[in-house]
Amino acid sequence: MSRTAAPLQWLTMGFLALGLLGLSPALSLSLLAFGLAVLTALKLREARRLEERRVVALLQLVCAGLLAALRPELGPSLLQGLAILMALAGLLALELGAGPDWKALLRRSLQVLVAALPIALVLFLLLPRLMPFSNLGTGHGMGAMTGLSASMDPGSIARLAVSREAAARVAFPLGGGPPPLEQRYWRVLVHELFDGRSWGSNATPFPRPPAGQPTAPPPPPAAPGEGLQLWLVEPSGLAAVPWSGAGRPLSADLTLQRSGELLNRAPGSQRRVYALSRTADQNDWRTQPPGPLDLVLPRGENPRLEALAAPWGRLGSNRERLNAAGSWFRGQPFRYTLEPGALPRQAPLDHFLFESRLGFCGHYASAFTTLMRAAGVPARVVSGYRGGQWVQPVGGTGYVDLRQADAHAWSEVWLQGEGWQRVDPTAWADGDPLARAVATGADRAGTAPWDWLQQQWWGLDIAWARWWLGYDSDQQQALVQRLLGDQRHLLGLVVLLAVALSLAASLGGLGWLGRRRSGDPLRLELERTLRAFARQGMAPQAGETLPVFSRRLTQRWPDLAGPLDDFVGHYQRQRFASAPSRSGRRQAHRLGRVLRRSLHTGNRSKEAVQQGTP
Amino acid sequence: MISAIGEVLLGKEHQVRLALACLLARGHLLIEDLPGMGKTTLAEALARSFGLGFKRVSFTSDLLPADLTGLNVFDPGAASFHFQPGPLFSQVLLADEINRASPRTQSALLEAMAAGRVSVDGTSHLLPQPFLVIATQNGLDQGGTSALPESQLDRFLMRLSLGYPPRQAEQALLQGEGLRPDGLSGGLGPEDLLELQARCDRQHCSAALLDYVLDLLDRSRRQPAQGHPLSPRAGLALVAAARAWSMLEGRDHVIPDDVQAVLAAVCEHRMDGGQRGDGDGELSQRLQAGVDGLR
Repeated sequence: MSRTAAPLQWLTMGFLALGLLGLSPALSLSLLAFGLAVLTALKLREARRLEERRVVALLQLVCAGLLAALRPELGPSLLQGLAILMALAGLLALELGAGPDWKALLRRSLQVLVAALPIALVLFLLLPRLMPFSNLGTGHGMGAMTGLSASMDPGSIARLAVSREAAARVAFPLGGGPPPLEQRYWRVLVHELFDGRSWGSNATPFPRPPAGQPTAPPPPPAAPGEGLQLWLVEPSGLAAVPWSGAGRPLSADLTLQRSGELLNRAPGSQRRVYALSRTADQNDWRTQPPGPLDLVLPRGENPRLEALAAPWGRLGSNRERLNAAGSWFRGQPFRYTLEPGALPRQAPLDHFLFESRLGFCGHYASAFTTLMRAAGVPARVVSGYRGGQWVQPVGGTGYVDLRQADAHAWSEVWLQGEGWQRVDPTAWADGDPLARAVATGADRAGTAPWDWLQQQWWGLDIAWARWWLGYDSDQQQALVQRLLGDQRHLLGLVVLLAVALSLAASLGGLGWLGRRRSGDPLRLELERTLRAFARQGMAPQAGETLPVFSRRLTQRWPDLAGPLDDFVGHYQRQRFASAPSRSGRRQAHRLGRVLRRSLHTGNRSKEAVQQGTP
Repeated sequence: MISAIGEVLLGKEHQVRLALACLLARGHLLIEDLPGMGKTTLAEALARSFGLGFKRVSFTSDLLPADLTGLNVFDPGAASFHFQPGPLFSQVLLADEINRASPRTQSALLEAMAAGRVSVDGTSHLLPQPFLVIATQNGLDQGGTSALPESQLDRFLMRLSLGYPPRQAEQALLQGEGLRPDGLSGGLGPEDLLELQARCDRQHCSAALLDYVLDLLDRSRRQPAQGHPLSPRAGLALVAAARAWSMLEGRDHVIPDDVQAVLAAVCEHRMDGGQRGDGDGELSQRLQAGVDGLR
């Protein structure tokens, strides 16, 4: 048992502990992982004998595997990879004894890991997939989100802090960039409940299927050639997740509500990755007729507002009412600010519309929606994200980077024959940040080195999500279909065969590496040269030393004396006089080549002479 | 110097070289041959070329240990015993016909050879440095000999056999062209020998070379049919002798050729158990052929 084993195993525990940090305590499996890690650490603390330390190494590997199932994202995966590397190195240190040092152990461990890759790939591609473990527990929201919340009451907010915290990233892998900046609206929540002050969401949590009952059948995969939206959403605690408003979810645990909210079956504190097709669904939420909730307006709360809207209500169509409200809005000196001050408790919207005229998106959406309802137009507030920065990482898929500061609220109104239409009253205000961004063309990636690094990392993250996390059972089915066609019953056999083949390849590769390691490069060079002479019929006798053999060679090929002496002299010096060096090896290689070449040309010229003389 | 000794011992340059290497490696030398082949001459020439003190004991079957080590003699004047050193207290001891002595006497020599000291009546007396035993023995097939035990054979670094001189050299000998050893003076003293011995220890032995030696030892142990297995002491002796040989070759590092040059002299008597004594080195040849010498 080598002395490096203990530090390596403790280092592994450190990596495992780091990996545990990001686990959500709401998941039952993460408690298991946590408990296992603690047990392993305790066992490592008390283990003295070789067998016990072996058990520790195996426990560490199990622990890393459990973590991998719980946190499949890029960053945690790298951490788990490191933990596994260290755990294997510790195990190797236990088994190989005091021989190899740190570097050699880590190299060996890496080789073992690489050798395990083919078999892992086979299993990853072909073995039927489990549901993601993160769906096994119910997560409850971990505190409120900075950008979005289920209830929106702009009047109570005197000052809105801008948070640069990451909210989500969306990529469009299969062609097609993002929509232009002024049309980038990403829906999350629909607020239809209005009590005169705040807007509530009536989204009910997705009903969980009774235990034991199979979940809904997976939705059909995206048609070939159809564009994709690939979302990577930071934990929000909301059941609703962002989407572009067009497309169809490709995961079974996402459902589209009538209102146009995309609900997540397993909301929680975990990061979520999901994909949507780009084409719209048949029963589009836009054409769903409004319900009675969309006209609810507590009367008498904001008398001046109602008075303003009353004449519009007598106009013929919703479109005309919308236009009238729009032109009135545009005519008022509204100004966008993040520090509007709190609105009074009495008639807050009257105060905003006719006196302060200062506010952020929530104020505009709230006031405009109320105006529309007062005019008899079904309307609701939608919150989500607007804009976002387009980032093109080096050599990767471009994506839109959404921050909590991009959180936004806007209105949707029902127009006969057109369905639900988006109206963003904030855009009519002076100083709207998006309008400013469009005007200055500020849709540019940040230039600070830290920003750049973060963008590259997120680009990697997106690629990982697309190729690794995105490989779900649908894609697997498609692959199996392509490989086997109708012969699906052979899948088990194919898996076994592929596993056997990759195992053989890995073992063969490791064996080859082991053999190669024993071959010292200097000696290999000598043997190459000896082979060249052996082809000419000169081989060293049993036990003969190199100088003696070289004297025999010189007797047979006197012309070779020069290069032969150079090579043999250098070889002997490298071997016996000094510590072998890299430059010495290179020199031996060079001299060996010279010698072999002169042997070759010497023979050719001799043959030519023989042919020339009949 | 080799050529100087070579002039004394005509036509035996290789043996002279080996004997010198043995001296440099602080080893004891066993010369085995028929009477009249120049054994004594070689020993004397070696001693004289370094200006070493030289004593000679002819071993007979009735030789006692005290005859070698010396003994405590009663001094009537001082009314006490005082130690009277024997012939062992010299720098070069030529033990002529060692295999004619009794085992008891041989074992007295043993301690002196291994430890460089002599114990008489419970008192240890250190021997002078350098201390070298050159023993000669007649072939075992000669009358009045008893074989040296293997333990003692192992203490001799080398066993040499001189053999008949080549015809040319013998002619020169008969013409009286050879020098007498007492005419030799190499211009070197015992201090020079000590320094040379120290330099010998600093000859570089690379890992590859030690590998070669280890392979040789390993091979001898795996094939017991090919003579006695070589002891770790044999390995030490082999490396020491190869170091000395490489220095005589004018190199600062040891190569397998050096090991091969001394292999027969160092290992043959350990492998054949002193039984054969024909000095053809057949066992060493076979051992050498069994191990890759290219390295």
